[in-house]
Amino acid sequence: MEFFPGCMIHNRYPGIEKSIYYVFSVLGIEISPLEGSSCCPAPSITKSVSEEMWREIAERNLNLSDETIMTACNGCFTTLLEVGSEIGKDVRHFAEFLYRDVGIEEIRKKVSKKLNLRLAAHYGCHFFRPAEKKGVDSAERPKILDELIKAIGAESVNYRTKNMCCGGGGGVRAAATEVARELLEMKLEGLKEAEVDAIVVICPLCLFQFDTGQKELEKEGKVFGIPAIHYAQLLAIAMGMDVDEAGFEAHEIITQELYEKLLMGES
Amino acid sequence: MSLNSCIQCGTCIASCPSGRITALNTRRIIAEFISSGKKVEERDEIWFCVTCYACQERCPRGIEITDTLIEARRTLVRNKGLPGRLGYAFTFLMNHAALVPAREEHVELRRKLGLPIYHAQFDEKAKEEVRRIVEKHAGSVVRWSSSPAA
Repeated sequence: MEFFPGCMIHNRYPGIEKSIYYVFSVLGIEISPLEGSSCCPAPSITKSVSEEMWREIAERNLNLSDETIMTACNGCFTTLLEVGSEIGKDVRHFAEFLYRDVGIEEIRKKVSKKLNLRLAAHYGCHFFRPAEKKGVDSAERPKILDELIKAIGAESVNYRTKNMCCGGGGGVRAAATEVARELLEMKLEGLKEAEVDAIVVICPLCLFQFDTGQKELEKEGKVFGIPAIHYAQLLAIAMGMDVDEAGFEAHEIITQELYEKLLMGES
Repeated sequence: MSLNSCIQCGTCIASCPSGRITALNTRRIIAEFISSGKKVEERDEIWFCVTCYACQERCPRGIEITDTLIEARRTLVRNKGLPGRLGYAFTFLMNHAALVPAREEHVELRRKLGLPIYHAQFDEKAKEEVRRIVEKHAGSVVRWSSSPAA
């Protein structure tokens, strides 16, 4: 199996990659970096310019490997899965692989430090939509991430804006930043009411939008202070990885309270 | 399914997060296409679509609404260029094989975590392969969009 990092994990949140290697070593599954892989490229915005360019860059990436290609980004997953299905390549997303192939029971057995946290699951639109092409989870009532959160001893808290988009996709963050920020604020209002320790994502672009977006909102005097972390980081820590290996230096919003809870585990 | 099969139920716009705060109104875009032939690619507000695919997922007529907007954007790009900071993104893709290239601080964190540095951005041969693909399909768009506004 080879790991496809994409730009956001390789170039912004390497702690996610570190965590994935840790998780796979605990599970006894071999995984190595897909060398020379480029931007996937990001599906919606690249197709907004040229569908041929999108397909050709994706094919170049897919043809670098004969093995299963593992991603931990909903954008990379979309591009590689859609083009991969046309040329016979096996593409998986970390979260659905954990749920469907490894299984919740096995994950539970490998958790050495239960994390008794209140967490808000955020799937990210492109994990399961369009359902016809993705075929991983229900498009209206997804449950994979909720189940994965419970497997590490945490609570998956219901919240008013649970099924809402992060607001950063489709090129909106770059094309109309103020719209992305306003959507983020709507999402965060619902999260605030739920009083969670963190938002758990399975896509680094959602993570970027939640994390950097909150920093931008703070400049307007709107402080939420809700950390966003990738499930891989959480699971690795629950499986015994040192918290300082999770690469939280790259995150803008990490509370002391969350850091301490991750260090201590269930007390 | 063609846009002409739309029954104007409004499920799309009711599902649209962006439509709550922007001029994007998918139901009206389709209505005006049917009633007066107004083309989707004449609508700048389609750049407000976050491509969450909620409308397309729920459309009872199976209209590929999100994909229709993305396709229309291609004509918009040819006519008007890329909006906002999107122009820079494709300059990055052409020059660094990355829509989001690493800076020194990001490389430093990878080193600190003991991770290899293997993205095409750091591999001259791979980077050149990607540059050629971008140049072939979008070279003029990239140069146009990243040049200073007149």
